[in-house]
Amino acid sequence: MDRSSHPRSRRIAPVVAVAAAAALTLAGCSSSSGGKKSEEGGANASAGKATTPRMTVALVTHQSPGDTFWDIVRKGAEAAAAKDNIKLIYSSDPNAGNQSNLVQNAIDQKVDGIAITLAKPDALKAVVGKAKSANIPVVGLNSGVSDWKKLGLMEFFGQDESVAGEAFGKKLNDLGAKHTVCVIQEQGNVGLTQRCDGVKKTFSGKTDVLYVNGTDMPSVKSTITAKLKQDSSIDYVTALGAPYALTAVQSVSDAGSKAKIATFDLNKDLTTAISKGTIQFAVDQQPYLQGYLAIDSLWLYKNNGNYMGGGEQPVLTGPAFVDKSNVDAVSKFAANGTR
Amino acid sequence: MTDNTSKTHGAILQDAAPGTDDGVIVELRNAGKAYGNIRALHGVSLKVRPGQVTCVLGDNGAGKSTLIKIISGLHQHTEGEFLVDGAPVRFTTPRDALDRGIATVYQDLATVPLMPVWRNFFLGSEMTKGPWPVRRLDIEKMKQTADHELREMGIVLDNLEQPIGTLSGGQRQCVAIARAVYFGARVLILDEPTAALGVKQSGVVLKYIAAARERGLGVIFITHNPHHAYMVGDHFSVLRLGTMELSAERSQITLEELTNHMAGGAELAALKHELSQVSGVDVEELPEKEDLTAPVAASPEGTS
Amino acid sequence: MTQHAEPAVTSPPAPGPQETDGRTAERPLVVRLLARPEVGVFLGAVAVYVFFLISAPPVRDASSMANILYQSSTLGIVTIPVALLMIGGEFDLSAGVGVITSALTAAMISYQLTMNVWVGVIAALVVSLAIGFFNGWMVVKTGLPSFLVTLGTFLILQGVNLAVTKLVTGNVATDDISNMDGFDQARKVFASSFDIGGVQVKITVFWWLLFAAIATWVLLRTRYGNWTFAVGGNKDSARAVGVPVAFTKISLFMLVGFGAWFVGMHQLFTFNTVQSGEGVGIELIYISGAVIGGCLLTGGYGSAIGPVFGAFMFGMVQQGIVYAGWNPDWFKAFLGVMLLGAVLINLWVQRTMTRR
Repeated sequence: MDRSSHPRSRRIAPVVAVAAAAALTLAGCSSSSGGKKSEEGGANASAGKATTPRMTVALVTHQSPGDTFWDIVRKGAEAAAAKDNIKLIYSSDPNAGNQSNLVQNAIDQKVDGIAITLAKPDALKAVVGKAKSANIPVVGLNSGVSDWKKLGLMEFFGQDESVAGEAFGKKLNDLGAKHTVCVIQEQGNVGLTQRCDGVKKTFSGKTDVLYVNGTDMPSVKSTITAKLKQDSSIDYVTALGAPYALTAVQSVSDAGSKAKIATFDLNKDLTTAISKGTIQFAVDQQPYLQGYLAIDSLWLYKNNGNYMGGGEQPVLTGPAFVDKSNVDAVSKFAANGTR
Repeated sequence: MTDNTSKTHGAILQDAAPGTDDGVIVELRNAGKAYGNIRALHGVSLKVRPGQVTCVLGDNGAGKSTLIKIISGLHQHTEGEFLVDGAPVRFTTPRDALDRGIATVYQDLATVPLMPVWRNFFLGSEMTKGPWPVRRLDIEKMKQTADHELREMGIVLDNLEQPIGTLSGGQRQCVAIARAVYFGARVLILDEPTAALGVKQSGVVLKYIAAARERGLGVIFITHNPHHAYMVGDHFSVLRLGTMELSAERSQITLEELTNHMAGGAELAALKHELSQVSGVDVEELPEKEDLTAPVAASPEGTS
Repeated sequence: MTQHAEPAVTSPPAPGPQETDGRTAERPLVVRLLARPEVGVFLGAVAVYVFFLISAPPVRDASSMANILYQSSTLGIVTIPVALLMIGGEFDLSAGVGVITSALTAAMISYQLTMNVWVGVIAALVVSLAIGFFNGWMVVKTGLPSFLVTLGTFLILQGVNLAVTKLVTGNVATDDISNMDGFDQARKVFASSFDIGGVQVKITVFWWLLFAAIATWVLLRTRYGNWTFAVGGNKDSARAVGVPVAFTKISLFMLVGFGAWFVGMHQLFTFNTVQSGEGVGIELIYISGAVIGGCLLTGGYGSAIGPVFGAFMFGMVQQGIVYAGWNPDWFKAFLGVMLLGAVLINLWVQRTMTRR
């Protein structure tokens, strides 16, 4: 039987690959450009440390795993926790029911404060009530600007998505856009829908909505391409997240369209794109600030009885516009993954 | 390897039994098998000669399938000896058994139902041509060979491309038998080939068993039907509860005796006693214990 | 009674004409054609194409077709090995996140060690094949359903993708590697475009069709293909006749690893960076692409061409709805209807084929 020769050659393949990789490494096959070595050592934004008694704070968000944006929120929260001598417990689940369980979990751990996002306020109503009856202060951040007071949260840090959308629409008017497509990467997400609605409200041109599958980048790319081809009058792509804006750049060139691109939220590569001019502007809601302030406010409340926003008004962290004129100031922080 | 197979094919009759005087190909001597502390088979002796049909009979759980698994290389025996051509062996895979010319045709899993007849015929021993990496199946040759071999066995199919699942149960068994014969089988183990078949289909399969014997193969015919066994058998072994209850040549035993052994005379008598205490069961017609242990004309189960 | 006589049956039966009667009577051509695994989906794909050709004018443009094919190819390159695996009787739920694992591996190894990107590319191939080997080995050795085993791998990879990326880069996305040595070369292989009559066609489309052609040849014309059908159709029979079941299954899982690696590299060299949280949910699209393409969920039946049409149908519907300018809210509903239709056709095919 010659069975063996065929299988053996397949089994050898990985071994050969390992050997090849090792050989390449030994041969000094290092990249002369880019890479880790070219990176400058960036200093972390860390202030002095408070001497107040150790306290525990839970931050419970509706983050789905691996989202750049939430990573920045978390970094802000961690910076505040380090400064304030706080033990930070971070947990997240995009499913509202699960998120509510995570809050209950924090209550059971008898934490000194809870910071939550209100992506689906109704699902969290009961558990917020429980926290209050357990005398645990609760603050909100990021999502739920219109619901935090109803639920009895102390303070709120975030961006009013509708307001941000409206500001975005006005900016488009100023830039002379006529027709935009608002790309939603997660169908059914309230915050993303509010952004598009806000844009539609103030933008004097035509606004289309396009749903894309955010977990499959090639699909995002070709769907935006398809939309641009279907309607060649589109002259501005409104992306709702930095990675999608960067993908839209490729779609625009694939479709041979002249559309420009603007986006909500920032990251490192996006600041580069703005300074290069491939992306026009970004609306930043300063996620780092949201995480930082939410944790810091619980520390202030515990140690000095302070309310940010006076307990009446939300503390708005956005919309802050980043475009070519101010991108240089922002980019070095974005490179650290904190802006 | 293609040539290899054909050589083996042509050499079946010649190299039937090199090391032994009476031509025994497969022999078990007091063989047994224990799964942990459960003894599935114990003290079984069996000889398979070319051109003879050795029938192994037994009720469910008698150890028939364990016996097949040992001979076909799926399991290893844990006691006694297992000899092929007079030399002790211990197979670790079915491939080992196949390489020694022992082929097994299983009751349900003889074939892959959705695959065409010719692919099933050559499955696991496909004919190929061309050098690697462009070595490919020699489809024309395989189809021709399959058709020829099936005709030799008296099976005529006008479309070898049809999935084997569309054939009748008997036809499928026959394809499996023809296949084993072609691939140089000297010993053919048939696991209950007639169990799931109707009367007519069973007859067809029995004819092919006889045909295989005519071609000089040693056949181990596993069944629980003494009537089928007696139609084609040369030697009969009856298994009960993992041990050998009877081992007899055809000339030493009648169909009635075989049937009684199969039915388990003593056990039936005890059952009759129990049934007599249940109202509504007519036990008058059932045979007495004496009838069951002696060779008599009455058949306790009737004909099946 | 002649009880001591020679056995009753002695002569081989003569071949008679009644042997074939009624069993192998020619079925109508249409039925025989429809019994081919890829014909149902081919007709479906043509129907969808014609439908959008009429209702969405931009589809008539050649460059739109290039875009649809591009989307289809990024799904299809993994759908083909997933289909082969399904013919071999197993599932792989980890293929979607496996794509991202591969891309992350390549990006991080190249960037963190400041190596030529090809080092990362090869390391990623090793990792992808190793994941496939692990899946296959677990399935073969434990006998657990591959659904469970690969669900486990799926969750593990999802966590590892995120945790390792965070650990290594401090972010949840990899760093931009576009200015590193070997990038342009690798991009040519995995993510370039060709100009065909003025239309830019992505190289993945060619790879996709090439892989489909190779897979079809292997499946229908080699022993390995024969074994693939056999281990999926009846594992025990296959083992009993000497087919190396463990080798066949493990290598099929590794082929899925290869497909995931290829698409992972495409993503990396197209987008320069990779988000660690992507890829979740795509595994189901691969599997449904294979099912729509005529592969039986139970294994043992299917083709490598069918999944090409399956992936094309996905790409066509997804982009077609956009080209037609309809409310994309309906996309998932369309997909669901397609999937159900495909499964019904397959069910009917299986019944027709095995009808006695």
